[in-house]
Amino acid sequence: MAEAARKIWVTRPRASATLVTIGSNDLVDDVRDMILRKYANSLGKTYDSPDLTLRLNTRTGVSRVLGPEEHMATVMEQFFPNGQTVDEAFIIDIPRNTTTPRPSPRAPAPPIPGSGSGSTAYYADDVRPSESGEGYFPPVVGTATSPRLATKHTNGSMPHSMTVISSGHLPPIPSPGGSRPRSHRDRETHTPSPNVHSGGGSGGVGPNSASYHPTRHSHSRTHSSSSEHIVAHPNNSMPRSPGHEIAAAARMGPGTPPSPPQRLVSPHLPTLRTRKSKRGQAQQQDYQQNPPPPALNAKVPPISVLIVEDNPINLKLLEAFVKRLKVRWQTAMNGREAVKKWRSGGFHLVLMDIQLPGMNGLEATREIRRLERINGIGVFSNAPAEATPPEELTEEDRLEGLAKFKSPVIIVALTASSLQSDRHEALAAGCNDFLTKPVNFVWLERKVMEWGCMQALIDYQGWREWKQYSAKAEAMEAANKRAQAFKKQSKKNRTQLSES
Amino acid sequence: MALPDDKELEAIFGDTIDLTTFKQILEMDEPGDNEFSSSIVFGFFDQAEETFASMDTALDAEDLEKLSELGHFLKGSSATLGLVKVRDGCEKIQRYGKQENLDGSPENDVKVCLEQIKKALTAVKSDYEEVETGLRNFYKDDDEEEGV
Repeated sequence: MAEAARKIWVTRPRASATLVTIGSNDLVDDVRDMILRKYANSLGKTYDSPDLTLRLNTRTGVSRVLGPEEHMATVMEQFFPNGQTVDEAFIIDIPRNTTTPRPSPRAPAPPIPGSGSGSTAYYADDVRPSESGEGYFPPVVGTATSPRLATKHTNGSMPHSMTVISSGHLPPIPSPGGSRPRSHRDRETHTPSPNVHSGGGSGGVGPNSASYHPTRHSHSRTHSSSSEHIVAHPNNSMPRSPGHEIAAAARMGPGTPPSPPQRLVSPHLPTLRTRKSKRGQAQQQDYQQNPPPPALNAKVPPISVLIVEDNPINLKLLEAFVKRLKVRWQTAMNGREAVKKWRSGGFHLVLMDIQLPGMNGLEATREIRRLERINGIGVFSNAPAEATPPEELTEEDRLEGLAKFKSPVIIVALTASSLQSDRHEALAAGCNDFLTKPVNFVWLERKVMEWGCMQALIDYQGWREWKQYSAKAEAMEAANKRAQAFKKQSKKNRTQLSES
Repeated sequence: MALPDDKELEAIFGDTIDLTTFKQILEMDEPGDNEFSSSIVFGFFDQAEETFASMDTALDAEDLEKLSELGHFLKGSSATLGLVKVRDGCEKIQRYGKQENLDGSPENDVKVCLEQIKKALTAVKSDYEEVETGLRNFYKDDDEEEGV
């Protein structure tokens, strides 16, 4: 009889063979199980062991399919009495059934956040950006999740989801009912913009170079010096023209829930600035591991930020920080005040402390989302309304100056806790993102930048006006600085001045 | 003031301050003066002393809820400055104020909670004094260096 355990060679067609250990009493059926364990990724996520067939392939030309009931050791002795060579590896065949598509190397279709379920959609831990620098996009576990879901909706009629537009970061958890044409990604990846770094995993560090964040390591050299630049930031779906994705954003089609329509995972945007444009590739690589201190002359889009924080020390620091980013800001020290300020309109981003006296950050977030919903902010035509019966819009809840509410505000939670459950709660309440306190300024700047860019896409006209204005302001500032430097110089160093 | 290097800061503050966090506040100073960071730090001194006083009062009144709130409050700002020991002490007070042990399990005995808070408050005050002295020296030295 055969020895207690032996190894056999198996291989997938035209692939490298591998050894599988079998016991003396194992049947072909058992071997299939072991093969699935060995090919846990490529086969295991898609196929069950009965789907596989093993084909015998001897040097003498014998080729037949092994039945599941055959005794493996016997087969070995019969066909390979002198031992099996690599070239004689059993071939693993998988069914070629078109109704069981293989996992695409691309991402599965993204869920349309919140679709069908109102405001509470949020993603599991493994798609949350962590704040630990390199782990921003953690290893993607869901790449091969259910291929059925991934391809079922291939011919969906929805033009664009905001998620794709703004982030290019596709949450891997397919949501039932999510639909998105897969083809448009390919259509739009290439664009005339010189600043777009397309192509998979440039930089490709670590586990993050997952296939569907192809541009996450790209760094736009210059920021906002021409219209293409800013739209080039959201990673993947690069629009061809600035106008294009405004329209696209406005076309959030069927499947988009009434509101709050978008729970976005933060788009990852590069933070390199103009100043650093001369840096070489090496530094860029280095940057990925060790983000540099924030470039405080950053040109963050003209967003208006509401800072909600009850501790005056923290508030002061956050204020000083956003001031340097040259964005407009206001503050609120509790949830009620935050909602009140938000109702005055015009905010793009809320940095929301969660634990606040009185109405806490989560309650305030829920209230803001509720008001957005019933006032129809961010809801586009023909969104199916049957999921949640429309709430009565009372006079009390009516927002003044709806024009100032171009899109749902982005709420970034500031949590003292690093507990996942707290984060989930924040996301469930309607926050888009979160930062752990003490806030790392590099991260804060990134968030402001990322979300600001996204909001700038939505309010493109506003952004253009700001561009023109800021270019002028900058020129004036530069002139002022020169004048001041000159004054200082002349004051401190008269002798030197007189020499010149 | 030039940004002091890590060794220098470590010598002054030891393990009382998380340097990464504290340094990002120093980095916000304009070159040549530390007005901003010192205003934050000295603002914190005021806040801490006020909060400790309120904690004493709340402890006398055996007001656990208030103690928890105060603990949370000071935890926020001490964490922002990187004052890790103070932060941890405040967290203890916050926890026991909520009648929780440090691991989050419930602690139903009010007496135990008050006792733990009392201990934690004494400890956090002394940790605070230590780091306060360090910070005051740090800013004093800087002023001298600049010859102001």
